[in-house]
Amino acid sequence: MNAIEVHGVKKNFGKLAVLKGIDLTVAQGEIFTLLGENGAGKSTLINILATLSKADGGEVRVLGLDPVRDGNKVRELISLNAQETTFDEEFTGSDNLRLIAQLRGIPNAAATIADVTARLDLGSFLARKVKTYSGGMKRRLDLAMSLLGKPKLIFLDEPTTGVDPKNRLALWQLIREIRDAGTTVFLTTQYLDEADALSDHIAFIKDGVIVKNGTPAEIKRRLTTTYTLQAADGQGARARQALTAGGVAFADKADALSLDEANAARGLEVLTVDGITVAHYNRDEADLESVFLAVNGME
Amino acid sequence: MQVIKQLNVLTARIVRQNLTNADTLITVIAMPVFMLLFFVFVLGGNIAIAGTAGGAGAYLRYALPGFLLLTMAMGSAYTSLRINNDRTSGFLSRLHSLPIHRWVILGSHVLASVIFMVLAEVVVMVVGIAVGYRVHASFGAFLAFFGLSLLFGLAITLLAIPFSLKADNYASAGGFSYVLLMLLFVSSALMPTRGMAKAVQVFADNQPMTPIVNVARGLLDSGVSVGGNTIWIALAWLIGGIVVCGVAAYRVYARMYLGK
Repeated sequence: MNAIEVHGVKKNFGKLAVLKGIDLTVAQGEIFTLLGENGAGKSTLINILATLSKADGGEVRVLGLDPVRDGNKVRELISLNAQETTFDEEFTGSDNLRLIAQLRGIPNAAATIADVTARLDLGSFLARKVKTYSGGMKRRLDLAMSLLGKPKLIFLDEPTTGVDPKNRLALWQLIREIRDAGTTVFLTTQYLDEADALSDHIAFIKDGVIVKNGTPAEIKRRLTTTYTLQAADGQGARARQALTAGGVAFADKADALSLDEANAARGLEVLTVDGITVAHYNRDEADLESVFLAVNGME
Repeated sequence: MQVIKQLNVLTARIVRQNLTNADTLITVIAMPVFMLLFFVFVLGGNIAIAGTAGGAGAYLRYALPGFLLLTMAMGSAYTSLRINNDRTSGFLSRLHSLPIHRWVILGSHVLASVIFMVLAEVVVMVVGIAVGYRVHASFGAFLAFFGLSLLFGLAITLLAIPFSLKADNYASAGGFSYVLLMLLFVSSALMPTRGMAKAVQVFADNQPMTPIVNVARGLLDSGVSVGGNTIWIALAWLIGGIVVCGVAAYRVYARMYLGK
């Protein structure tokens, strides 16, 4: 059973179609990242999956359950960590954690809270009012509140926004630990390096539809259209001459040559026929930023 | 039962917020106490209530029930503020993502609001008694006054909900409470309507606060006679208000959080 299965999901706000037929599958126990520009429909989809909103069409299954029909059962199994940190700032960290533990009806709440706060290194702050916390501490408390009750699926909506680099890395480690403990993580983030570093699978959403979906490596590979070719020492000039004579287009790239998709195979053949040794031949690796820009038509 | 426990936990959270917030305590408890003392001891001696010997004591006897309802009305601004704050901070969304019965989330705000209004009312009444007010009522009449207070608190709490859910920020969420206060000022709460300008008197006599205050006054003071229809008119305003405001509150809430 997949953690999330979404088929043809649509959502309109008045005349505005925000989701126009989303198809998505998230396997259990993975970190899945949904990327897209502001307003692309990420939060709308999360709200549907987390039972906060109803889809206007399509089929949704969360941990095998229908979020509308089985809303309370779904809510027992999931946790939502929204973009805004949400707690009572006038109360202490302990008060806030206890509130969620009581609402979830967690037996032996004190031990559960102690376990979660130890994992997030929050112990020394718990007796202080939340309004005295730094942004990073608030994020950790927020995450601790979401982890109470050991959810099988957690939605992390931009969990590291506004967090300093040190705390960001600590949160990355924690997110990996959450995944390794068996919880499926559904992540959205503004940081493409974060998505690249954490995700098992990534999907790009644009104008209410999923336009790319796969592992980070697959997605980057699909976008890549250039190859780098390096001749053996002392054969660079001969290689250039052979490619030119063979009518193969190329571009100089430091001590190597760059060929596009249409010319790569023919270039390799020409060099081989001419007895030129090819020391390195690589498909160029795009980064997620290039993918994001390409998806959103900015490149 | 988990649902009752959840209602208790969330209600206690909001009551605690109110009781530990200085701004709330000043506005909802200290301010009405100050107004009561100011009206009674600064203005009261100069206000002649027909049929009484006059003086601060007579004014206190007349006006205290009005001040009690005024106190509750001031509390409604903070009902709106708390709900709006929970909405804009995303806390309501967090609660909706938890395994909590939907009605408990807003129900806890309603319950906490009425509890806090009654607490504030009790404080103002104790101050009133400390400065000379005496309840001249049977136990039954006093219980009826308590019931009237609960209905009044419920009605203005339900009135606050649509404003609190719709307002962009907490500053505008409580704006409706000024209308409530204006209605109380232009009613029989603090002065008899008889001495008001004719047009104002017509308005004061026919708006909801005057019969409600008059019934409250009559229940706390057996020496004050309340017209036969006044009780029914007051109840009609209160129950009608609860139904209309309750439906409006549910519709706004359901549209925003229940996907209806």
